[in-house]
Amino acid sequence: MNFAAPLILTLKLSFITTVLLFIVGVPFAYWLAFTRLRMKFILESVIALPLVLPPTVLGFYLLMAIGGGSFIGRWYEDVFNKTLAFSFQGLVVGSFFYSLPFAVQPFQASFTAVDKRLIEASWSLGRSRLYTFFAVILPLSRQGIITGCVLSFAHTLGEFGVVLMIGGNVPGVTRVASVAIYDEVQSLNYGTANAYAGCLLLLSFAILTLVYFVNRRFVRTL
Amino acid sequence: MLQVHLKKQWKGFGLDVSFEIPRGKITVLFGPSGAGKSTVLRLIAGLEIADSGNILHGGKVWFDDARRIDVSPQQRSIGFVFQDYALFPHLTVEKNVAYGVNSKESAKTVKELISLIGLTGYERCYPAQLSGGQKQRVALVRAMARNPGLLLLDEPLSALDWETRARLQTDVKQIIRRFQSTALYVTHDVSEVYKLADYVIVLESGKVVKQGTPEDVFLGKRLSTRIQVAGKVVGIEHDSIMSTVTILHADQFFKALIDREEIDGLGLQVGDDVVMGAKSSDVILFKILT
Repeated sequence: MNFAAPLILTLKLSFITTVLLFIVGVPFAYWLAFTRLRMKFILESVIALPLVLPPTVLGFYLLMAIGGGSFIGRWYEDVFNKTLAFSFQGLVVGSFFYSLPFAVQPFQASFTAVDKRLIEASWSLGRSRLYTFFAVILPLSRQGIITGCVLSFAHTLGEFGVVLMIGGNVPGVTRVASVAIYDEVQSLNYGTANAYAGCLLLLSFAILTLVYFVNRRFVRTL
Repeated sequence: MLQVHLKKQWKGFGLDVSFEIPRGKITVLFGPSGAGKSTVLRLIAGLEIADSGNILHGGKVWFDDARRIDVSPQQRSIGFVFQDYALFPHLTVEKNVAYGVNSKESAKTVKELISLIGLTGYERCYPAQLSGGQKQRVALVRAMARNPGLLLLDEPLSALDWETRARLQTDVKQIIRRFQSTALYVTHDVSEVYKLADYVIVLESGKVVKQGTPEDVFLGKRLSTRIQVAGKVVGIEHDSIMSTVTILHADQFFKALIDREEIDGLGLQVGDDVVMGAKSSDVILFKILT
């Protein structure tokens, strides 16, 4: 069994999830930050759910949602001729929802923190909302965007419960590092488990150091 | 010409204003804080929406609730100068000034504007590296760069110290005159009204209470003086028949010996805003030798 495979799979999953969260999370967080919808607190609560729910609960519902018995699951099987559950694509779906608050919350907070006057100044200078977003809001939210992306990446790295529920333990397909550790311990291979654990520990530490370093640098320069 | 008829109601405060401002002049919207001056400005800019009324600018309708017209701030051809400058902190002076400019010749215009405010050499500086006065100059020309039909200034100098403020009042007036802009300038400072206004609109508790030239509004008559200065009374010393009145204008003190009866008749007190003038005798100038 290839030692590196679960680690590479973990990094691949984290990377794809982070890119997706950036693409979907930025416009979504922008909408949340500036909408006047009164009911937005309900939506914010839904997004925050993965922070408090046991991963197994989230995993269970996701499995119900994408499994062969569900509409989405059947549609996916018809189109791609394979199941979404217990596949890498299924893991991406699960990780996306599991890490959603880690991306959306910092994005939203940094958008909200941009001085409203600067946005109004941009409008009064004839610039559209879209132009204003790219020229003013996004550059001034760098810190929140970087934090959100890095946290999403790190959080996906450490995911276990959701992965196990919807992905299982298929080597090379859904067997990520955290699952591999559990598996190795079950088989009493403490040495291999130790190696995986060490890799995850170092990686997570490096990522968090980066987040704190970036935040410190921005606080100093602004 | 700008015509404004607007109503807006909040909990405990109502705004109901109608006025016109002349083209190519500086109109000052004057009143105590909380009178609704800034709100009027924001409504004209399209940054807030009125409950009812209309705004017409040079034959174009910017807002009309009856016809459901509400032109976006981007389409209103305005320049807005904020009290706290609102310069983009991540952009250089040059990029700030050029922000609203599209055309190819913009580089030249931007250069001219920067030299107009005496900041040549600061093009690549960031706002954080500038003084308050410099920041507001940049904000002013940034708003002018698009050649807006209407310049709106929301207490632009109130965050500055006395000296800078007095200097900038002159600059602001010169720049606005140079571009022959129509400007609506919000302030709660009487001396600023005298220094800048062609026309004054006085707002109190959300209503226009007076309008006219500064002299009409504040003195109720036209003065035909040879020299005059507006300021705040900072000292009154009475003698048997004469009184010495000291007024502060910008950071300068002016003293005058005035008939005591006249002072008593006015009920003049320290803290009053006044215009001091002289008309009978010849005005004398002394050259300062440096």
